[in-house]
Amino acid sequence: MHLIPQSWAHWHILLSVFPSVGLVFALGFYLTGLVADNDLMKRSCLVVLAVLGVLAIPTYLSGDRTMAALSNGAIISADLMASHFVWGIVALAALAITGVAAVVALWCARGLGHLSQPALRLVLALALVVLALMMVAGELGWQVNHHELRLDAAAQRTPQAWSHVHMILNHFPTVGFAFALGFYVIGLVSNDVVTQRTGLVVFVLCAVLGVPTYVTGAASMWALTDPGVAGISKPVIDAHRDMALLTLFGLAFTGVAAWIELWRFRHLGRFSRPSLYLILGFAIITLAVMAETGHQGGQINHPEIRIASDALPTDPKAGVTRAIELLINQVIWFVPWQTVHFFGFSLIFGTALVVSLRVLGFWKSVSFAAVHRLLPLGVFGVVMNVFSGMLIMLADSSRYLNAPTFAPKIALIVIGAAAVLYFSLSERLWKVSGGEDAPAGAKWVAALVLISWTGVIMGGRLISYI
Amino acid sequence: MEYGNAAIVFVVVSVVLAVLGFAFAGLYWLNKTVDESAP
Repeated sequence: MHLIPQSWAHWHILLSVFPSVGLVFALGFYLTGLVADNDLMKRSCLVVLAVLGVLAIPTYLSGDRTMAALSNGAIISADLMASHFVWGIVALAALAITGVAAVVALWCARGLGHLSQPALRLVLALALVVLALMMVAGELGWQVNHHELRLDAAAQRTPQAWSHVHMILNHFPTVGFAFALGFYVIGLVSNDVVTQRTGLVVFVLCAVLGVPTYVTGAASMWALTDPGVAGISKPVIDAHRDMALLTLFGLAFTGVAAWIELWRFRHLGRFSRPSLYLILGFAIITLAVMAETGHQGGQINHPEIRIASDALPTDPKAGVTRAIELLINQVIWFVPWQTVHFFGFSLIFGTALVVSLRVLGFWKSVSFAAVHRLLPLGVFGVVMNVFSGMLIMLADSSRYLNAPTFAPKIALIVIGAAAVLYFSLSERLWKVSGGEDAPAGAKWVAALVLISWTGVIMGGRLISYI
Repeated sequence: MEYGNAAIVFVVVSVVLAVLGFAFAGLYWLNKTVDESAP
């Protein structure tokens, strides 16, 4: 991988994800800072928003130069490019204004001695407007170069919707992880528990998002290769798949280690410093692997960013993922992992059932803190099932991915996992003692957890029959 | 390659025991760290 992009198009692809997807995470951290009334996080986010405002300039310049370079391409739609240009300018101008507002808020705080609430709210409102504009500009930007999204749907065995979702979704664990790492380091350096916790939570969320990203990526492979799309090479996809597999492992290691430390924090009231540095090490390695994965993913459908020294793979039989596919198709390897998958579901559903029922009002004499101790059992089940599920999917991915219940199953896994994260973190739930009723909001989450994991199991079983 | 039922059962039991053993050993260690360090 060449660390410094060699073309304007490459610069634009790389830079443009920060003001768009990055803004989602910057806003998430900002909102957390506002809700937790944490001065360090609020100030850090204002600095990040100011930096994103400055990034508007190179994003615009690289986009403008890219337009000039690509305007002669036969597959590039001039109308789409013009629409993207207009929406992009409006979004970037609004981003620059938000950046200026963030700088002004920080500047005024120097005189006042604290951050002004109206200034903080103004920055939040501006950032939300920018996010809406970025969504439109970003979607048009993806449409510009991805002509496969406009292919005749009737001729597709695997819908191009998977490619569309993958190209949007894959930026969330990658950019989100970079933001989480940045805030995590700020938290470690400042010894600020709220910032450390928020960084850990985003590591967990990125790990959860890694699952649909991997699955949509596998489906995109079929959408782009069966039938084939001009300019797309299967060996290049296979090389990306191998790196994606490593990324999935990296996300799982970091996410699980982060979740365990969040869980331990609940019971001990403090973080273990060695554990925090271990997670930092996992996160740095994972980010490096993820950067290479993203770069290889970009090589698949962006000929404009390739340079002469890029040696693209050409061997259709190479790759670890291909080797796993061949191996897992043998009964002697498929059945053990399928069995592990069932054990994993037993752990997940058993834990989700006990914790959710307590929240819903069963066994009221037991405090929530007592059932909180059971959560690792369910999380270990999730880890077992992500690994075994990935192996099972690789045995016949085209069939699994095109089954009508597969996509809902994956969506429900994300919802179920995010809801369980709420159980791990909620302050109000943690304080529910024996004999006390859980808050009404938590009961809705408990119902969502049960519905989600029931749906996941049903969706999985129905794959073989409908 | 064809495998006999005995081979399949052996691999199933081995993989499941290895995975569950690893998971429950981790769980035991995790709970122990909390029990021993609890304020």
